[in-house]
Amino acid sequence: MNQRRYNIYFHTHTISGIIIAAILYVIFFAGTLSFFKDDISAWQKGKSIVAEQHPADYNYLLDSLGGKYNLRGRNFDFYVLKQGHGTYVNMSSSQDTTISKPKPKGEERGRRRGRGGRDDDAAYFLHYFADKSQSSYAEGYDMGEFLYRLHFLAQLNQVPMPIRLGTPFGYLLAGIVSFLFIFALITGLLLHWDKIKSNFFLFRPWNKWKTVWTDMHTVLGVIGFPFQLVFAVTGVILIVNFALISPFSKLLYDGNQEKLYEDLQYSRAMQVDYTYEPLESHFDVNAFVDEWQQKWNGSPITRLHIRNYMDKSMEVVVESKPKPQANFAGSGYAKVQVANGKVLVSKSPNQDTNHIDRIKSLVYHLHFGDFGGRPLRIVFFLLGLTGCVVILSGIMIWLVARDKPNIPLYKRRFNFWAANVFMAVCLAMLPVTAFTFIMVKCLAHVDQSVIYSVYFYSWLALSIYLVALRNLSTMNRHILLLSVVTCLGVPIANGLSDGLWIWNTFQHKAYDIFFIDVLFILMALCCGIAYWKVRKQAKPFKVTVIGK
Amino acid sequence: MPANKKYLTKSPWLRLGKILVGTIGGYTVMISFHFCLTYLWPKQDVIATAFFTGYILWAFLLLWAFLETKFWRLCLTYIGLTLLFMLPYLLKH
Repeated sequence: MNQRRYNIYFHTHTISGIIIAAILYVIFFAGTLSFFKDDISAWQKGKSIVAEQHPADYNYLLDSLGGKYNLRGRNFDFYVLKQGHGTYVNMSSSQDTTISKPKPKGEERGRRRGRGGRDDDAAYFLHYFADKSQSSYAEGYDMGEFLYRLHFLAQLNQVPMPIRLGTPFGYLLAGIVSFLFIFALITGLLLHWDKIKSNFFLFRPWNKWKTVWTDMHTVLGVIGFPFQLVFAVTGVILIVNFALISPFSKLLYDGNQEKLYEDLQYSRAMQVDYTYEPLESHFDVNAFVDEWQQKWNGSPITRLHIRNYMDKSMEVVVESKPKPQANFAGSGYAKVQVANGKVLVSKSPNQDTNHIDRIKSLVYHLHFGDFGGRPLRIVFFLLGLTGCVVILSGIMIWLVARDKPNIPLYKRRFNFWAANVFMAVCLAMLPVTAFTFIMVKCLAHVDQSVIYSVYFYSWLALSIYLVALRNLSTMNRHILLLSVVTCLGVPIANGLSDGLWIWNTFQHKAYDIFFIDVLFILMALCCGIAYWKVRKQAKPFKVTVIGK
Repeated sequence: MPANKKYLTKSPWLRLGKILVGTIGGYTVMISFHFCLTYLWPKQDVIATAFFTGYILWAFLLLWAFLETKFWRLCLTYIGLTLLFMLPYLLKH
């Protein structure tokens, strides 16, 4: 390869890589655990969702809401959870001004920020079909949701931004990091291009440390390349797609973003004028949902929108995503006028697949890994962990390659501290995650703010401790030992607090809860073996800048 | 063994310039290229496809900024390509 190009690839890869390393590790680690989001939620709540089936009962939900509110003229949006065991419910205030008094003018209706924070008598909450319980978003918040949201840095959205860029800070940062990740992947592949074939399986674990890390980085990087590229690209799409949407909406839609989102089948306009004439017949939501589900060969309903409830103008929209086994790409949609039962629009999830369905299904299925059941998610989980390893070994190469006598001391000092902090923050994540899993089982009351405090403060404390060690080998040993203890604590905490020992959950076919316990036991085992190996036979590793 | 400095851009200003021009220029070329394609295929289909092709193309165009030896030629290429792809739009308006 041309020497100039080689060195340019090398440098751009190094710089883009080291800039994003720490944040990318957080994204990878939290993201790879998020493949088991629903299992983690079930684990924390102690309620398995795979052991029993719970049919969605919308009638009950609406009846119970009707006890508290006058529902006439309201809009409802139901966002059904992936496993179908519950739904987010968004209830608007009524169009009927005699039911929901309009706010006096002058009182500003601030833009809705995030979830929650509503005005008037509208409501937004989570409803579980199984035990018919309801909770606010913050109360229903669990470790599954926390890790899932951490993997696109949603918790950083609180950081104020000097200028409005159309997206909160956390999402923007996650988007920039994943774009730089695409860049680093491309330059990394080009850099390694000549050696792809010859070094495909080259791994020399008994060589000096630098060789071990280089092999880890390049071999796992190349093998994992397709997986990582897919996640980098779909990640950018999912988190900062406004970068594409806004110029196209200006150029092609005269700035009408709504219209563009409609064309891309993200949203559909539902403008229905309120008539103030009550609907005469009764409307059975369950029967309605069942009917469409049957029409679409059992394709699960993902969303349900009701406009102007029990008014003559009432309209209902059902949306459906086919099971990936039945149809990988597709989306169902039907809009019905309730008063006369007229179907205004309908699109079958199984037949009427178009190009946009294909692209969007590709993005979602590939990123969420939800098209091959648990085995596929386990494979994705392992590939995600190799991503973590590639990042960590990248940091180590970066450090070791610059730890030379010809590099000025102040630069070497800086490099060491940068690597020290990066490694501490990254490595602390596993024990901190396991520790928070234990804590959510021990504490009497758990909600969003409790999880935030436990996770972030313990993360901070452990990181500071590890940084203060000023020795990467010691840090490694401490982390491994700590991980063994905390990971083993996870199934024990589950057993002690809820009596859900692994043999119990296995017997009751609560495989989702069982799986999380087994996962942590396996992680403890791996860390234990690693610790034992490191104690026994590790080659000494020292950074020259620290005189210890 | 960090990369050999001999082959890298030395001036920090030029480097900053390359990063900025590469990011912005790459973005405009990428957008205008897909915009140009909307004359051949339905616009919503092109936009949806750009989800995948757009970001990858952008990353490659950014890399190009570092490979190109002459800074003025780099700027001209980005501007030229953007104008070329926007030609149908400019002729219409």
